[in-house]
Amino acid sequence: MTADRPLPYGDPAHLAAHQFLVEEAALLDAGDYAGWLGLLDEDIRYLMPVRVTTGRGAGFDSLADMGHFDEDLYALRKRVQRLATEHAWTEDPPSRTRHFITNVRTFRNGTATLRVESALLLFRSRGDTRAPDLVSAGRTDLLRETADGLRLARREITVDESVLRTQNLAVFL
Amino acid sequence: MRQPDLAAVLSDVRSGLIPAHVYNDPEIFALERERLFSQAWVFLAHESEIPAPGDYVVRRVLADSFIVARDEGGEVRVLFNMCLHRGMQVCRAEMGNASHFRCPYHAWTYRNDGRLVGLPFHAEAYGGEDGFARQGQALLPAPAMARYNGLIFVSLDPGAPPLPEFLGDFAFYLDFYTRQSPAGVELRGPQRWRIKANWKIGAENFAGDSYHTPHTHASVVDIGLFREPTASKRKEGALYTAGPGAGTTYKLPAGGDFASGLSYVGYPDAMIGAMARAWSAGQRALVGDSGFMVSAATLFPNLSFVHNWPQIDATGTVVPFISLRQWQPVSERETEVLSWFAVDAAAPEAFKRDSYKAYLMCFGSSGMFEQDDVENWVSITDMAGGSMARRLKLNSRMGLTSSGRPVKPPMTRFAGPGTAYQGFGEFNQRHWLAQWSDHLEAGPAR
Repeated sequence: MTADRPLPYGDPAHLAAHQFLVEEAALLDAGDYAGWLGLLDEDIRYLMPVRVTTGRGAGFDSLADMGHFDEDLYALRKRVQRLATEHAWTEDPPSRTRHFITNVRTFRNGTATLRVESALLLFRSRGDTRAPDLVSAGRTDLLRETADGLRLARREITVDESVLRTQNLAVFL
Repeated sequence: MRQPDLAAVLSDVRSGLIPAHVYNDPEIFALERERLFSQAWVFLAHESEIPAPGDYVVRRVLADSFIVARDEGGEVRVLFNMCLHRGMQVCRAEMGNASHFRCPYHAWTYRNDGRLVGLPFHAEAYGGEDGFARQGQALLPAPAMARYNGLIFVSLDPGAPPLPEFLGDFAFYLDFYTRQSPAGVELRGPQRWRIKANWKIGAENFAGDSYHTPHTHASVVDIGLFREPTASKRKEGALYTAGPGAGTTYKLPAGGDFASGLSYVGYPDAMIGAMARAWSAGQRALVGDSGFMVSAATLFPNLSFVHNWPQIDATGTVVPFISLRQWQPVSERETEVLSWFAVDAAAPEAFKRDSYKAYLMCFGSSGMFEQDDVENWVSITDMAGGSMARRLKLNSRMGLTSSGRPVKPPMTRFAGPGTAYQGFGEFNQRHWLAQWSDHLEAGPAR
């Protein structure tokens, strides 16, 4: 059912999807993870496959059975709960993050679902003296139109490095 | 590094007082390259990663890149990834399937068993076999290669002791992680990421640091993810050293037996039956009679294991997982972590799915345990690079009296081989560091 052309940039559905992603990024950069959980649908699947370096003819460039993330709502809630404890040392002091979201394209996906592709550049600074980390990724999201507004039902993060250069993924992408 | 300086460092390390700079010192790192990684058996891959003819993965021992390939006859080959002609990498992917590797530079072509089979204009350019004898030419094989439970190890020393001799009594413990049934284990991954930490810190931590668990990992207890790592439970566990390895265990609930112990950590009945058949009487006794379940471990120098059993859903379902991880040194201040999810190949699909979820929540690049570990190790490495670190000797004598005797005697009721102590102690880290010291003292490879 996926349309093969993105909606025009002036389409209200595209504008709503774009705004959703930007507002979501603002919550993440503010460390408002409880607010962020509120944007997720009950059956969220949050996925980040391990990217691998393969030849052009290999037919695959990520692992089908291993991710950096493969989360349901329980797992994401646990991660958020952990960050809210007094003992999540890796994020205390917290990272300063900036989620740069761009190249947003919205596709109508059935009657009440949008597929949204975006590019993400995460800037992450830890401590006062360490070199910052960058994580570049593409994202493909399914946004569900609900009575309460758009909700994220699925996110697949296609990271652009096969070897991550950040000490952990104690952050969301 | 001057010999008297090295001797002093190693003497301190052996006494349990670690000069802090060894965790960020280019001279120490050079010695590790020349004297340790030039000789030691180092893990590269598992056979389950290359199940079919032509499958390959590319892995490293420090700067040396090796193709680990299953050739057309089904044999595992470990080939140095450098063309015989001008030295280009013949394979620049990290995995795939190929019958041949062709060098992009001048098209010298090698079969996946390493043999050179293609050399353009052999007759015109070299005068045929007379100018360059193609017959018998092959990519350099790893100087030594051997397997245990499908784990593929190499040594850069052709005179390395046979792998079974090296593994010694640690093989007993290795089976808990890599042979839960005759089908053996399958590895998925690895996740790879680079951390600004010295490689030794992770290896030591997994070898025996049960003392860090209650505090470093307090958050995972706070949120009810894993019920075990409280201080009161962790100090009931046993620490063992055996051959080149060492590890930690948890004490299982009292009054249980082999099946109830494995059931407590979440194994389904079918897998418990398979373990009963796959393991020796001694291995069964460690669980059933002694009442211990393996948790973290390190095989010297840089392969670690972990086995934990978190709650994976809101109803409190406990499911165990296994991870293998390698601390691949990049420099004295940077390590590439390779972290695999491992599961019994014959396990039910539902168990594999749940165990994978358990792994992702706890360990690996996003794992809630691992996140806090790495923060510690990066910070240690950062501090160890300064001048004050040369004045500080880190106390690694936990479990010893001032005269060097154990605070508590070794356990007598521990069914596994080697030496075991119950409670907190740094016996295992000292055991790892003693091997490290032996290598650094011994001089260059033969």
